[in-house]
Amino acid sequence: MTATTTTQVPGGAPVSKNAESALPTHAKVPSRIAGPRPTTGVPFGRLVHVELRKMLDTRAGRWLLIGIGAIIAIALTIMFFNEGGQHAFGEYLQATTMPMALILPVVGILAVTSEWSQRTGLVTFGLEPRRIRVAWAKLLSALFVGVCAFALALVLAALAHQAAITFRGITGDWSTDALVLLGAGGYVLLGIAQGVGFGMLFKNTPAAVVVFFVLPTAWSILGSMVSWLSDAATWLDMNQTMQPLFEGSLTGAQWAHLATSVAVWVVAPLAVGIWRLTRAEVK
Amino acid sequence: MITVERLTKRYGPFTAVDDVSFEVKPGLVTGFLGPNGAGKTTAMRVMAGLTPATSGRATVLGKPYAALPNPGRHVGLLLDASAQHAGRTGREVLTLGAILMGVGKHRVDEMVELVGLTEKEANRRVRNYSLGMRQRLGIAHALLGDPEVLILDEPANGLDPAGIRWMRDLLRGYANEGGTVLLSSHLLNEIERVADEIIVIGHGKIVAQGTKDELLAGAGTYTRSTDDEALMAALAEASIVAQRTPTGGLQVEAEPIAVGRVALAHQIVLTELRGADSRGLEEMFLDLTAGAAREEVAA
Repeated sequence: MTATTTTQVPGGAPVSKNAESALPTHAKVPSRIAGPRPTTGVPFGRLVHVELRKMLDTRAGRWLLIGIGAIIAIALTIMFFNEGGQHAFGEYLQATTMPMALILPVVGILAVTSEWSQRTGLVTFGLEPRRIRVAWAKLLSALFVGVCAFALALVLAALAHQAAITFRGITGDWSTDALVLLGAGGYVLLGIAQGVGFGMLFKNTPAAVVVFFVLPTAWSILGSMVSWLSDAATWLDMNQTMQPLFEGSLTGAQWAHLATSVAVWVVAPLAVGIWRLTRAEVK
Repeated sequence: MITVERLTKRYGPFTAVDDVSFEVKPGLVTGFLGPNGAGKTTAMRVMAGLTPATSGRATVLGKPYAALPNPGRHVGLLLDASAQHAGRTGREVLTLGAILMGVGKHRVDEMVELVGLTEKEANRRVRNYSLGMRQRLGIAHALLGDPEVLILDEPANGLDPAGIRWMRDLLRGYANEGGTVLLSSHLLNEIERVADEIIVIGHGKIVAQGTKDELLAGAGTYTRSTDDEALMAALAEASIVAQRTPTGGLQVEAEPIAVGRVALAHQIVLTELRGADSRGLEEMFLDLTAGAAREEVAA
C-alpha cells in the first residue's frame, strides 16, 4: 500500500497544494442515463471523430504540428529574402508541402503505435471490438489531417507568392500543372498512409519511425553501390517513382513504376498491418 | 451477467488459464481472487475480447463481447489503470470515451465529481497522476456509459483504506441496482471486504468458488473462555476437534452454536465466541501463493 498524502483531517494541518483531493466521504451511485441502451454499434463517423481528436489532443501530436508550422515559416522566410524572393508559385508550394510530407507520416505512425506503447489499446479496442473499423478510422482521420494540411500548404504558398509580388516586386508566376498539384498532394497523403501502415505493421514507435525514414536513404545509398538494386529502385524507390509527378508528366512506364512502389510500400504494409491489428492480443 | 465456459488460454507450453468455468451474477459483487500470475488478468482480457481464447468461451450479457453493440454502454472495463496516454488530461480521456459512446459531455463532469477529482486535477495530464488517481479515473471511465456489467482488474490497487471503503460502497450501491460486478484482487482482505461471491484462482485453475459465507464457513470457530483447559476437554468429549492457538484461545472445527452448547452444558464461561476469520480461505490462499510464485506471463 502506498503511503499517500491525501488524508485531510478537518481542522488539521493545512494540506499542501499538490496533495491530491480526498475521495468523497460517501460513495454516490452513478446516475442512470435516460432511455434504453443502444442496440446499434458505434457510428463510423464517431470513430473517425475520436481518432482525429486523439491525434491532436496530446502534447506529442501538438508539438509535431507546431514543428511543421515552424519549419514552413522558416522555409518561406528564407525564400522570401533569397534571390529577391523571385520564385514561382510552384516553388513556394514545394516549400510548404515538403515539411508536411516529411513530418505528417509520424502523426500517422503515432496514431497507431501509441495504442500499444501507451497501452490505450485496452480502452480503444474495449470500446470498439470490431478492430478493423478502428483501423479504417485511423487511416481516414490521418488522411483527413493530410488533406487539411495540403489545403493549408496551398494557401500559405499562394500567400507567400503574392507577398513576394506585392512587397518584393517580383513577376508573378502562378503556372501550375494539375499533375504537379496531384503529385504534391499525393506525396503528402501517400506518406501518411505509409506511416499508418508502418505503425500497424511494427506496433512500435521507434521501429516504425526509423524504418520509415531510413528506407528512402537506404535506397539511394544501396542503389548507387549495387547495380541491380538501382534497377529495382526505379520500380520500388518511392522518391524516384514520385519524381515525374512533380515534373508534371508521366509516361505509361512511369505510372507503372509509381503504382508498383505504392503497392509495395503503402498498400502492402497497410494490408498486413490491418491483418495484424485485428488479430493481435491487446495488453 | 458474465458466463465463462471451459475457458483455456495457452501461451506456448504455458497455460495461463486452464479450463475455467464460472458465472458472475447480476446484483452481486463477485471477487476474483488469486496471487499475481494466477491468470486473472488473462481471463478478464478474454472476457473483453482483447485476447483470443485457445478454447472455451466467455460471454457477457449472453453474447461474445465483440458482438455487443456499442459495448461501452453495456460493459464498463477497467483492465489497467496505468494504460492511459500520459500526455492526455484526465478530462480528455473521459471526453474521448463520452464522444465514442455517445453520452453527453455533462456525463464527464458527473463522473469526475463522482470519483472526487477536482477540476484542477481533471485538467492535469495523466503523467502527473498517482496510481490512486489513475484508479479513480479508470473507475470514472468504466462508469461513463452507465453499463450493466463492470469488469475491474485490481481496482483497489493504490487506493488507501478510505478509498477501498469508498469503492466498496460504490460497488455495493451499483450491484443493489441490479448491476453485475466482477473485480479482481491479489489481496484476500480487499476481496473479503468488497465481494459477496468469491472465485479463487491459482495457476490458471479455479480452486474454490462460492458465496463469501460459504467459503468462510469452513473456517470454524474461535473462542476464549475463563477455563480453556476444561473447554478443550468438554469439546473432546463431544468429539469436536479443537486446538489451542499460539495467542491463546481455541480454534474449533465446529460452528459457534455447537461450541456455545458445549460450554453451556459444562457451565464454562466464554469470554469470546465467533466465527473464525477467513482462516480456511487464507490458508488455501497462502498455499497458492507459496507454490512457485510465477510472474504473470501476460502482464
